[in-house]
Amino acid sequence: MQAKVGDRIVIKAHKVGKRIERDCEVLEVHGADGGPPFLVRWGDTGRESLFYPGPDAAVEPYDTAQPAA
Amino acid sequence: MRIIDATRRSAVAVAPDRPIAEVAQLMEDATVGAVVVVDGDDLVGIVTDRDLVRRALAHRLDPDARVDAVMSTPVVTIDAGADLRDAYRLFDAHAVRRLAITQDGRFVGVIAIDDLLMDVTADLVAITRPVTAEVLFGHHDVPVPART
Repeated sequence: MQAKVGDRIVIKAHKVGKRIERDCEVLEVHGADGGPPFLVRWGDTGRESLFYPGPDAAVEPYDTAQPAA
Repeated sequence: MRIIDATRRSAVAVAPDRPIAEVAQLMEDATVGAVVVVDGDDLVGIVTDRDLVRRALAHRLDPDARVDAVMSTPVVTIDAGADLRDAYRLFDAHAVRRLAITQDGRFVGVIAIDDLLMDVTADLVAITRPVTAEVLFGHHDVPVPART
């Protein structure tokens, strides 16, 4: 998996029988060629950690075409 | 099947000096039951939700205590290209529920015994389905042609 700074990573998980989603923002790319590990900030809490994505994770690229202010 | 293809979940890593309260919150953030502890590129330990209960909460450890005070070490590792059967042997030999996956000596992920259990269960369903169908719906034998 490759990601860029600003991309969002969504993790789809199961927790006691229900499907839940978590997301984080890529702050730094530590691997070669845009690969993991990524330093990420978790969406709900702002806490940071290194993240090694598995098959439960998908990258949502950051849209660089931001509307003008 | 290779180990790296059998893992079903993402992994989270923290530095050894992170407070245990923050590690517990990260487990909730990322919906993981274990966090790997890395010092630079070096894998130095693993801490599970069970470790936090038994080694921290049960001993009323300060929430700001460093995570390396409660982590398990050394971590049992398996190469990303190893066969699934190698994981079975390691789980059996070391009585652990998670193995750290490494590639070229660097940590790349975690495989849990639950991942293997799900694979075994899926295989079991696949091989028992035709037998179950036969029991429930009877045989569909082609009749033997009568001799003329």
